[in-house]
Amino acid sequence: MSRPNQPFTTGSTELAALLVRVADGDAAAFQAFYDRTSAKLFGVILRILIERQESEDVLQEVYLIVWRKAATFDAAKASPITWAATIARNRAIDRLRARPPRAQVPMEAAFDLVDDGPAQDAGLIHDQDARRIAAALSTLEPRHAAAIRACYFDGVTYDELAAREQVPVGTLKSWVRRGLIRLRDLLEGSQA
Amino acid sequence: MSQQPQPNGLDGLTELEALAMDHALGGGSRAERKAAELRLLSDPEFRAAVERWQVMLAPLDDVTPGIAPPPSVWAAIAAEVEPQPRLAAALPAVAGGWWNNLGLWRWLAFAGPVLAAVAVAVLVQPGAVAPGVPAIVADGPALVATLADADGKPLIAAAFDPANGQVRFAPVAASDKATGGTVPELWVIEGKNPPRSLGVIDIAAGRSQTIPRDRLAGLKPGVILAISIEPTGGSPTGAPTGPVIATGKLSAD
Repeated sequence: MSRPNQPFTTGSTELAALLVRVADGDAAAFQAFYDRTSAKLFGVILRILIERQESEDVLQEVYLIVWRKAATFDAAKASPITWAATIARNRAIDRLRARPPRAQVPMEAAFDLVDDGPAQDAGLIHDQDARRIAAALSTLEPRHAAAIRACYFDGVTYDELAAREQVPVGTLKSWVRRGLIRLRDLLEGSQA
Repeated sequence: MSQQPQPNGLDGLTELEALAMDHALGGGSRAERKAAELRLLSDPEFRAAVERWQVMLAPLDDVTPGIAPPPSVWAAIAAEVEPQPRLAAALPAVAGGWWNNLGLWRWLAFAGPVLAAVAVAVLVQPGAVAPGVPAIVADGPALVATLADADGKPLIAAAFDPANGQVRFAPVAASDKATGGTVPELWVIEGKNPPRSLGVIDIAAGRSQTIPRDRLAGLKPGVILAISIEPTGGSPTGAPTGPVIATGKLSAD
């Protein structure tokens, strides 16, 4: 893929303009950026961490990173919301990994490798790219798609998934990577 | 791309590509993620691969419901990013005039052309204008910069009026770096060129200073302004010799 696959909507352009001002230290632009993006980022973080106070802490941390790093945002590489949501996912997963093992929040549902994603989420999908990736995901081997979902949405590790599925970690990684390659091929095919 | 399963899970992928997928998806252990984050800093090829996968996967986030965070989160963030008003209030010694108002300088940076013309009119002091230069001509927007120290603390606001070549400084916070026998000198850094002197300046006075016409070229949005401490009379070498106390980017509307 040589270009971002999200179309640049009016919203993206506005958010990118706000980030340019944030990079200049404009606190009002920063607040506007927060107002338009914080619910989405909080949703991403909460889905991974589940625990609310910890999620609020991570959200705060994420926006301080946005404030400091706004100048590094590159509109040629990603849309503003992708850039910010990626920071949020990474910080949430790192926080999850830093938890002591006993403090893990129970996530039975996350370990259940049944690919129930597209059906239950379909009503919320409004973006064309989101529809395309959901459709592509639904054509994968179900265990591969479910492993990808568990990692991406819930922050589950390969090790945890492998133990749950009673397969070697190498096999689990192979599922995921083959699934991602297939996903990429499907998306590139449908873009042409 | 090979579809044959292999014990290492690489499936014919390069190690770089496989690790980039792992990092973008997030399935690695804590140690694996830390290793990947270090590699991101030093390996542009790896970084580009991770970014490609992140962008591909990002539309998945569309199905995650947004949830409004409580107002306390923004309050905590705002307290971290808006230290300027508290700084100014804590420093009555330099809070002497309308120019000691970072908000105003910021406002000048984002004002539209009409407002910029007004700003120029305010900035120009009658009598300080070079002969032959109209006092109120906005043939370019006013440019402003907030110069901060190495820790990011704003020290000095600077406004440059291209119409008459005047630069005005407003101290935002006191710096104890300047001592007797030394003077601050202003530099402009354009891209990768070495710093170019704009002359010795008087920060504390808040007065306009005129930059010689022959040095004005290159003063445009995006260049970096820097202030170093030099011996009285300015740098003897033509390049900064003393400590750099503040830097900031020049910007315009």
